[in-house]
Amino acid sequence: MTQVWDTLPQVLIDGLTLGAIYAIIALGYTMVYGILELINFAHGEIFMAGAFIGTAVLIGLTGLGWVAVMPAIFILLLVLVITGGLTGMLGMGIERLAYRPLRKASKLITLITAIGVSFLLQDIVRFITETQQNNYIVNTPSLFPGSLSISGLNIRYSFLVVIIVAILMMVALEFFVNRTKWGLAMRAVAQDQDTASLMSVNVNKVISVTFFVGSALGGATGVLFAIHYGTIDPYIGFILGLKAFTAAVLGGIGNIRGAMAGGMLLGLLEMFAAANLSAITAGLLSSEYKDVFAFAILILVLIFRPEGLFGRAAIEKV
Amino acid sequence: MTILEVEKLTKTFGGLTANKEISLQAEANKITAVIGPNGAGKTTFFNMITGVYKPTSGSIKLRGESIGGLKPHAVAKKGISRTFQNIRLFGPITVLENVLVGMHTHLKAGIFGTIFHLPGVDKEERIAEREAYRLLEYVGLEEHYNDEAASLSYGSQRRLEIARALATKPSVLLLDEPAAGMNPKETADLTGLIEKIKQEMDMTIILIEHDMKLVMEISDYIYVLDHGELIAEGLPAQVRHDKKVIEAYLGKGAAEEQEAEG
Amino acid sequence: MKKILDQIRGNKWLQLGLLVGYIALTSLSLILAQRSVAAFLLLLLSFLLLYYTKLPNWSKWAIGLAIMFFILPFSAMQGPAYQEYMDVATLVGIYVSMALGLNIVVGMAGLLDLGFVAFFAVGAYTYGIFATAQANNFMPFGTYPLSGNSFWIFIILGCFVAALFGVLLGIPVLRVKGDYLAIVTLGFGEIIRIVFNNMDQPVNITNGALGLSSIAPPKIFGIELLYSNQIYFVVLFILLFIIFAVRSLEHSKLGRSWKAVRENEIAAQAMGIPLVKTKLMAFAIGASFSGMMGVVFAAKQAFIDPTSFTLLQSINILVMVLLGGMGSVPGVILGAAVVTILNAQVLNELTMWFNSLSTAGIITLPDAMSPVKMQRFFFGALLILFALYRSKGLIPAKNVVYDKRKFLSEKGTKKRLQSVAAPKEDEHDHTGS
Repeated sequence: MTQVWDTLPQVLIDGLTLGAIYAIIALGYTMVYGILELINFAHGEIFMAGAFIGTAVLIGLTGLGWVAVMPAIFILLLVLVITGGLTGMLGMGIERLAYRPLRKASKLITLITAIGVSFLLQDIVRFITETQQNNYIVNTPSLFPGSLSISGLNIRYSFLVVIIVAILMMVALEFFVNRTKWGLAMRAVAQDQDTASLMSVNVNKVISVTFFVGSALGGATGVLFAIHYGTIDPYIGFILGLKAFTAAVLGGIGNIRGAMAGGMLLGLLEMFAAANLSAITAGLLSSEYKDVFAFAILILVLIFRPEGLFGRAAIEKV
Repeated sequence: MTILEVEKLTKTFGGLTANKEISLQAEANKITAVIGPNGAGKTTFFNMITGVYKPTSGSIKLRGESIGGLKPHAVAKKGISRTFQNIRLFGPITVLENVLVGMHTHLKAGIFGTIFHLPGVDKEERIAEREAYRLLEYVGLEEHYNDEAASLSYGSQRRLEIARALATKPSVLLLDEPAAGMNPKETADLTGLIEKIKQEMDMTIILIEHDMKLVMEISDYIYVLDHGELIAEGLPAQVRHDKKVIEAYLGKGAAEEQEAEG
Repeated sequence: MKKILDQIRGNKWLQLGLLVGYIALTSLSLILAQRSVAAFLLLLLSFLLLYYTKLPNWSKWAIGLAIMFFILPFSAMQGPAYQEYMDVATLVGIYVSMALGLNIVVGMAGLLDLGFVAFFAVGAYTYGIFATAQANNFMPFGTYPLSGNSFWIFIILGCFVAALFGVLLGIPVLRVKGDYLAIVTLGFGEIIRIVFNNMDQPVNITNGALGLSSIAPPKIFGIELLYSNQIYFVVLFILLFIIFAVRSLEHSKLGRSWKAVRENEIAAQAMGIPLVKTKLMAFAIGASFSGMMGVVFAAKQAFIDPTSFTLLQSINILVMVLLGGMGSVPGVILGAAVVTILNAQVLNELTMWFNSLSTAGIITLPDAMSPVKMQRFFFGALLILFALYRSKGLIPAKNVVYDKRKFLSEKGTKKRLQSVAAPKEDEHDHTGS
């Protein structure tokens, strides 16, 4: 029990960091599902692509000598914007090429396509990386080395960066969705596609914008991930994507605030489990099981409260 | 004899009361119609009888046995079958297979019997296929038996749904707007078919319909719903002139006009 | 050209003659060539040609069985690559069985299961644990490893244990809405893999990441079946049983109930079909096929570890089903054959070919892009292309065709099915149901 207490502060910090990352990726899932009722399986890979693109840009900027000269915050901003823009376009492209032709098809087929895209992206990143440097695992240069020490707690600077940027992104999205014309259009299309189009909303454009925004955010999160954790490989998108999806479901799929809440909650729970699972179960379950933990939560939520913590149960018309 | 007895059936969805204390008796071998303007709660009513929704309160009794709250497949087994307002056929499979699905509750084949072709199973299939074909003949669709169900014309699809419902050998048949979207000729054929079923089969029919001509022609008794409540009931002639009914459909002005005409 | 094709299409005997000639030619080249993947594949292609001929069903089966049991092994036997060929053939048999299992779940019942490999793992570990000394760690009775004689019982056992897991997995999962089902099954598949990977503490049940080795090979009449060509026949028998079972199910009450549930759950329920039970049956039966082959796989490989049972494998099998044609038995068989051979042979051959090209200086393909490593890329591309352009698969599912002459003849009694209400034209038949 003391172990639980002792590790709590660190668990909190790590949990919030992870949670913030889950939260933003979850946003991408939830926005797309809200509009198209499609689980964008490939979203995790967009995140992963963001991590790689961000790393590449960062390495490029380092090579140009910019990193040495300019403040880290500025560099970060630059990388985020470039990466976000590129991943946003990637997401839009995927929707245009792989999902739009299948709008009328069964959900099964669309899901299968998404899986295909996911695999494709993983391997493309893999062979590009492997061709460049003989290994598909990449180390990202650290932009914010060093850490604070407060009463025995080790708080890395990158943690602060991640949290702050994440919160900014979430606030920006909130504003976009609730206070702008495009956001209104998105919400309208999510509610009722046909009626929205009758109200002269260009549904296709709105869907494209949704994908752009979701993917840009996801890609930007990838950059944050790369900077904080330092090592990336083409397969991080899969597991993280799955857990972020869990977070989205936990919060209530289609519900943006729910996704944020779900993400933070899941991050905290997972870090807690990682630190304490062994102790709590008297050695029966090792921390290897923390992934199982996340899956178990997903399954439980889907069975007992499929509308999530903040969602409303949907009723099918008979 | 009352086959289906519904007493004070109520259904609320959150703040919305879709059905409020509706009571209905369906007499054996008669056609009971449930009519009312759109949104009156007629399909919700059917959905409760067939187990799709759980009633908030009230009772549903089939031959004295309470069936309220049973799951849909259990209700079907008890002998209540239905067609749907929006056609729900099994599109990609054949017409005959659609009807065969209807026979599900009467087939005894289990997993081992099927895989190992135990004696009764194949024979049971043959008999089922024959009966299904006969049902198709009954509704006039037998020449399409190997066609994809989705390839049928709209009117034929509605008839197929009826054949499929009949395949469950129900004692109560619920028809939810069977004439929706049909032209006068198709409606006349349908009217004939429903009459035929009533005369020739041991069946109690409950009908939701908007086509007043059809309703007045074949109904033995009518219940009128509006805004989730029962506002009138009676023989067709009575209901036709009921002030509340006219008001519900055509508005207050028309009701008063009717009254003036006497 | 068209005239010739039309002539062939019309004449059964011509088709038979051409087919026999083709089989003879390809088996001959297989016998003569020292090691020719192409010849082997062409011989396998004869199955596809056989499928498209218009010969009566019994003769198609006769020819097919002849190829499977005699011609193929015999032709392959003549060269040094014998075991290699039989290895591929055996692998095809195993994957076809699993694909047929997944076909029931995805193709017929419409349930997207992305964790399907878990049942394969369950079957494999069921045999693996008891056929090695592993079981001694926790079993209170008996000495292990069991001899290979028990292999045959374990096939049945693996079948039922996997079916049980299918039901256990299904019960919580089936209440979940359509799209989510995929994610949840994926989650379960991963859970099983992680669990097997970690079940070496506190009690060592699966030996964790180290895997199980020296698994007892099957033993019959005192002879141990150590070689691929022997296991081939075991696989063949099980596969034939599975094909027979699947075809029987297609034309049955259960098969129809799956299709009904797939097409329209609400209507299916209105017809008296219990949703959960029907879906569980699909899961259980699909799982049981994988379980049986899991046992065979463990015996064949003699070594298993959790890395053989990853998500990639589940997607592998899904690709087979989609490629071949969801819900279509001949399609799925073709799809499984194509994908397995792609993985086992073609990718390797392509890699070697590219290597030879680069040593000859013609083109250089970076090692990272060698076809063998590009598995995910190919799968992803295949999935996307087929989903977009040919979602019905190579051999789309065909509806059951009924012949009214067969059931209208008054063979069998004039009995009627037990009924609740009956048309008044026959007598009232109020025998309750």
